[in-house]
Parts: sequence; structure tokens; C-alpha cells
Amino acid sequence: MKPTSKFTARDIVSIGCMTAILEAVKWTLSSIPGVELVSFFLILFTIFYGWKTILAALGFAFLEIILWGMGIWNFMYIYMWPLLVALTMLVRKYDSIWAYTFLSAGFGLCFGALCSIPYLLIGGPITMFTWWIAGIPYDIAHGIANFLIMILLYKPVYHVMEKVFTKYKMQP
Amino acid sequence: MKNRKIWIGIISLLVVIAVFLGIYKMNTPQSVQGDKAYTLEVVDKEGKSTKYESRTDAEFLSQAMEELQEQQDFSFEGDKTEYGIMITSVNGTQAKDSDKAYWAIYVNDEYGQYGADSQPVTDGDAFKLAYETYQ
Repeated sequence: MKPTSKFTARDIVSIGCMTAILEAVKWTLSSIPGVELVSFFLILFTIFYGWKTILAALGFAFLEIILWGMGIWNFMYIYMWPLLVALTMLVRKYDSIWAYTFLSAGFGLCFGALCSIPYLLIGGPITMFTWWIAGIPYDIAHGIANFLIMILLYKPVYHVMEKVFTKYKMQP
Repeated sequence: MKNRKIWIGIISLLVVIAVFLGIYKMNTPQSVQGDKAYTLEVVDKEGKSTKYESRTDAEFLSQAMEELQEQQDFSFEGDKTEYGIMITSVNGTQAKDSDKAYWAIYVNDEYGQYGADSQPVTDGDAFKLAYETYQ
């Protein structure tokens, strides 16, 4: 059994692949507001790869910053995606499609509220509240889309990933 | 037992959605129909101020700005985002993210709480578009 605290070449390649997949799926659905596969794949990666998935989440966030440039949203991306990994780790013990579905839907619904935190520091609570409210219709769409994506794609994608992770002996 | 938990989860999500919709509905600005007088001041990068006065039937600021664009020596550009229109350029001056700059909207001397396309226009409103930077 390899020590879990050490990063191997396999880890680096795995994290690179996961980051690339996250970026690719982000682009795939970027034209549809509120619909994204990043949450779905981050949850799935975390189920198989554990805490190390945080590095893929951060890799994805920094890749987005490089591609899109500096902005307030940079801060949001840096804490939001690792937060999803942390929440998945908490839910992972239930090992249930429904637990992941509720997590994904809840994350989508609260995405705007959680993303509005930097505005509390920049403009105060009213700015934060207003910014969150303006995006509520998109948060609702995001939550519903995340719910449906997890319910529909969890089983088929889980089985494919199980094969890949077993074949290449990828483990946390 | 498991089914019960699933239903509790689904109902909880629906309750959260209903609460969010209620909050959204209560806090969405209401528009005013009919003819309205308003002023628009543009404060550019150098702090130079240009004032415009006009009348409009438009319900929201972005529509009034589009009208003003056709009537007077005023122009603006914006990007449509999922949160509404984001003003990127006024009278040819661009506010770039790379300069940490943006066009702020003030309504009756108070910092605007809505985007240009959701900010209602009421009779006698004084709007200001100011080039501002953040740290």
C-alpha cells in the first residue's frame, strides 16, 4: 500500500487529467446559463480520489483565471470549487446517489449566495445582498440542472470512472 | 425509511426554491410607466463631468440610455451577462477588468443597487455613470 500523504507521478498526471476534464466540460456548456457539469465531475472525482481532488479544483480555478483574466470572480472560484470537494467528502460516507444529488442541487441553489461573499468585503451587506438577489433565477436554474444532471448521469459515469480508476490503479 | 428521507430532501429543496423566489419577488425593483424627466451625468476617467437632460417613456435605465444615444452626444456599450447588462464603455471610455475599473451607477446620489437593465426610471431621477476603480 503506498503512503497516502505523498504525491506520486501518477497523482500529478491524474490531477492534470481531472483539471483538463473540468475545463473541457466548462466550455462545453458555457453558453447555457445555470447549466454546468463542473459540479457533477468534481463530486464524482472526489468520490474516487478524495481530498487530493482539491488540487484539481484549484487547477481548474487558476486555469479559468489565466483564460479569462483578473476579476472579483477569481476569489469566488478559488474557494467555491474546493468547498464543493470538502462538502462531498462530508457526504461521501453515505455513499448514496441521493446524497450526492441533494448536495449538487443545494450547491447550485446556494452558488450565488456563496459567491456573493467577496461583495460583502467590497461594498458591504447591501451590495452583497443585491448581487445575490439579481442572480436568484439563475441559482434556481443551476440547482434544478445540477439535480437532473446528477440523477441522470451518476450511474453511467460512475461505472466508467470505476473502470478507469481500477484499471490505472488510481487511488487517494 | 429511505424513501421518506428522499422525499424530505426533495421537499426541502422545493421549500428553498420557494423562499428564494419570494425573496427575489419582494426585492425586484418595480418599473413605472409613462413620460418621465430625468438627468444623466457621466463622470469620466479624468473626473470630467458631462450632464444630459431628457424625457423618456422607458421603464428601465438601459432603455433610456439607448434612447439618449440616439438623441444626444452620448454613447455606451455593455456586455450581456447572466446578471443583466454590464456597462463596459461610456462615451468611448472603456472600463477594463485588467485596470480594475468599472462603470458605477448612482441613482439620486446613492450607489445603485441594480444593473442598468433592472434599474427603474421614475420622474425626476438623477442618474450618474462614474468611472471607478477597485483595489
